[in-house]
Amino acid sequence: MECVVQGIIETQHVEALEILLQGLCGVHRERLRIHESCLKSSPNLGLVASEVRVLCDLEQPEPTWIVRHIGGAMRGSGAEQISVLVRTMVESKVSKNVLRLFYALGYKLDHELLRVGFAFHFQRGASITVTVSSVNKMLKLHATDEAVPVTPGIQLVEVTAPASSENYSEVAAAVSSFCEYLAPLLHLSKPGTSTGVVPTAAAAAASLMSDAGVTT
Amino acid sequence: MLTEVSQCAESINGVKEGRWKATLTFYKPMFRDQAVPAEYPRDFLGISLPEQPNRYYFIIRSQKIVLEADSSIQMIMEKLQSYKSRVSLTFEGFQYQLGDFQLRVGKVAPSASENLRGIVLEVEYLPLSSMEKSRQILDGFVEIWQEAMSKRSLPGHFMHIEPNFAEFGLSDHYTSQHTAVQYATVMAQLISAVQTAQAVRN
Repeated sequence: MECVVQGIIETQHVEALEILLQGLCGVHRERLRIHESCLKSSPNLGLVASEVRVLCDLEQPEPTWIVRHIGGAMRGSGAEQISVLVRTMVESKVSKNVLRLFYALGYKLDHELLRVGFAFHFQRGASITVTVSSVNKMLKLHATDEAVPVTPGIQLVEVTAPASSENYSEVAAAVSSFCEYLAPLLHLSKPGTSTGVVPTAAAAAASLMSDAGVTT
Repeated sequence: MLTEVSQCAESINGVKEGRWKATLTFYKPMFRDQAVPAEYPRDFLGISLPEQPNRYYFIIRSQKIVLEADSSIQMIMEKLQSYKSRVSLTFEGFQYQLGDFQLRVGKVAPSASENLRGIVLEVEYLPLSSMEKSRQILDGFVEIWQEAMSKRSLPGHFMHIEPNFAEFGLSDHYTSQHTAVQYATVMAQLISAVQTAQAVRN
């Protein structure tokens, strides 16, 4: 299970966001270069259609692989009252021929993306990860060196935290609380309910850069 | 029969260390419309090994694919509902130390019954990870083992068919993925032997 919120920010303000995150998280950022392949089951395979994501971390000296299954989101009045999305999520580290296995099992590549950016992992009431990345599409199959941004000038910000059925309320509260610090720069909400860029972003970014002694 | 084989290990000065268990699961594809023909692997196996309690191994032997994963991959497969566990077999028995060799002797039976399907012997030469470098030593051990076994009145005999690990993309450096491939090969061997025996009886 995990708690998730997302938002978008203009690329020109990413440096300011990084300065803010560095101050809030107290840890060093990690570079991010993830090749994400979304696989879907062939027609008729499975009791229901299914989807699985294969992530390859290209930032490591030797690429590492993860399989991730994202399940349904929590529903009902309780879920509506929470400002973050709570959904089932299971992932597993795997060896490198995972794509070959899933293709052999009858899964097909639906789409692939390359996420390039950075991430902060820290503890603040919960184990929180903030990723800031440009989402890029590949013009040729698996050609990660020839990827182009899906939305030039805009980057995706995701805040996630692992949770369980026992503690998701506390984790959701910790994520919500943290997101308030980012409000001047961007608005974070449940995936699928984006509110666009915030009007205060430019002023907030300028202030942050000025405080940090960065001239643009 | 397992007792006899275990006693054989003790007769060549094997020191019993405890019990061990591995599980092999056959997965079958699930279809929404049974009438629609489909080409999906019928030899998709999952294996858990005693030396890697947090890992799980998938093998499609016909396509020479082996995958090592965290054991949470089983939960992912359950959630996908595209493949279901059809039958599980358990390999379990006793582990012995003989100098630099580790020996595992076990019975093979369906997880839900005690119906013995075979006896498995696993020999590991601990000082070396290179299969080429340890081949002669292991062959020597197997000769000693077969001689010790010949003195006992047991039906059948141990057979070893070494898989072509390179076809699975595996190198000379031995890993748990090699072990998983060997278990899949042993399973195929066992099925073949049972089918041959049934054909002879018929």
